[in-house]
Amino acid sequence: MAREPRFAEAKLSHTAALILQALDAGFIYGFSIMEMAGLPSGTVYPAMRRLERDELIRSQWERQSIADAEQRPPRKYYKLTPAGRATLEASRKRYPLLERLIPSEEAKSV
Amino acid sequence: MTSPTEWIARVCHIGLLRVASLLVPLPQRTEWWHEWHSELWHVRHACAPGCGFSMRAEAEVTAFCLGAFQDALYLRLHSIASRAPSRALRGSAAQCILCLAAMLTACYALALLLPGVRAERSLAPIQIGPGLVLIQDVASSDDSSPSVLPKQFRAWKERKQQYFDGFAFYRVTEEPVRRESVSNASGEESGWGVAHASENLFALLGLPVQFPEQDAGSFGDIPGVILSERKWKREFQANPHVAGTVLHLGPGKARIVGVAPDGSRGLPGNVDAWLLEPDEKTVAGGAGFVIAHLTAMGQSEMYAAKVHITEHNSGNSDDDLLGISLDALTPGSWTLFSFALVLAILALPAITSVSLGEYSENSEGTSLLRTICRWSFLSTKIALLLPIVYFSSLDLAYANTAIPASSSAYVQLVSTFSICLFSFRWVLQDQRKRCPVCLRRVCNPAHVGQASRTFLAWNGTELMCMGGHTLLHVPGLPTSWFSTQRWLYLDTSWRFLFAASGSAIESETISGFSPNGL
Repeated sequence: MAREPRFAEAKLSHTAALILQALDAGFIYGFSIMEMAGLPSGTVYPAMRRLERDELIRSQWERQSIADAEQRPPRKYYKLTPAGRATLEASRKRYPLLERLIPSEEAKSV
Repeated sequence: MTSPTEWIARVCHIGLLRVASLLVPLPQRTEWWHEWHSELWHVRHACAPGCGFSMRAEAEVTAFCLGAFQDALYLRLHSIASRAPSRALRGSAAQCILCLAAMLTACYALALLLPGVRAERSLAPIQIGPGLVLIQDVASSDDSSPSVLPKQFRAWKERKQQYFDGFAFYRVTEEPVRRESVSNASGEESGWGVAHASENLFALLGLPVQFPEQDAGSFGDIPGVILSERKWKREFQANPHVAGTVLHLGPGKARIVGVAPDGSRGLPGNVDAWLLEPDEKTVAGGAGFVIAHLTAMGQSEMYAAKVHITEHNSGNSDDDLLGISLDALTPGSWTLFSFALVLAILALPAITSVSLGEYSENSEGTSLLRTICRWSFLSTKIALLLPIVYFSSLDLAYANTAIPASSSAYVQLVSTFSICLFSFRWVLQDQRKRCPVCLRRVCNPAHVGQASRTFLAWNGTELMCMGGHTLLHVPGLPTSWFSTQRWLYLDTSWRFLFAASGSAIESETISGFSPNGL
């Protein structure tokens, strides 16, 4: 049986919800989330670690070959888990402005 | 081409990230360094996309690097928080039992390490034989002061006795002692308490001499001396081949013929060595101690630890004497502990209430299983505390081997009594503050009401169980209608409140965010 996430929907902070929304919108790197959410590094990374611990998101390093082809260092990217997606849906009801702050379409159109 | 200013800024940024990474706990350090370093490239690429040095861009990159310190601080705090006892264990019955078990282990380990305690425990089985009394003058108020004159001893010994079938005499003098085979570097002699004792003393006591001399013939008429165990350990490093060593004892010489067993420590007088001499020599000095062995008739008359003895001497005058059982003089550490324990139990109501408070009727709180758990917990605490008290009092009493055995016994008695008294007080107070449902300590005391309204309304302190089971009401001023503390059982509808607050506190502690995001 899967472990129940430690954060229930109602307890998710606005910052955490904002990060989930940014991830859902396609901003999957730490710096891009910071840029989109307007949050500083010292807030975003701990929050992402916390979300990862609660199994709402998961992270992975991209392949070295991709980074080499683009002549840059490899990046760690983040993805929403099914539990994270469900939590985000609940959070959108609680924070109706969330989607206006980071609309999903905007990311998809980029 | 990178300008020197830009190059310096890049080095500074990497340096900042490196320093920040050093603050991260070691297992996560590499991972975080890689992520920051990787993101730094992208931050720089985004803020200053190949347009040379720009103060604004560098400030943004620096802000990113400084943010890494916040990350590192979070990780460090999170690491410390995860090492701390979990919330589930904090204040719980298990934590209490674990702490007591740890204390017991520490006290027992200390008892094993301290040589004085080890000797006390290991040699305790050797006891002075039964039916022995110390005869003292009734006028002597102190058992440890010699009060019998040699002529009295001689007269008793020569007369046919009805109640005694053996006598031994000893008197203790302070004498300079020097070993013959080992030269003292400073040329000084140490002063020992030497007991000039009857040759039959140890036979009368029923104590076997340890490490006895094998070949006594080669020493001629040099008198034998028996070392006390304390001196044997201190001066001869517990050498088992000590017998045969010749000592300069006062004006003459004496050869060591063995080591006195521990049971002899209970005899009055601070004796370092027992010089066994014929009675003619022993009784040549001043007052001393007389040990007598009771006949069967004498033992039947020994109805108490101390009995009065009247000796009719030849001059038609009576000597009033006191016969003190040697068993009473040499209580073992266990006897002292038991005595102090009883005293502490008797004294306990004087320093705290022995009531555990009222447990009102409630289907959940007062179920048989809960009651059994509560009493089992109380019993376990007491069961763990008693050996803690025993070993800690032994540690205190026998840590210093220089103090006499009689003083150690007093230290043990006083320390056992004190520790027992305050331990029992703590046990009762702790038990009164335990939730009857989950046995967790109640916390968050809140004062309710005003003392001036005691007769119109309740005033006192309210404490809550963090599991949401109970509230404890402790009256500020006991009254006829609220004399002792009471438990208020909360129904299950309250649980969500406590569970939510518990999670919220944890969330805030770890992440630094408000749980509701505001």
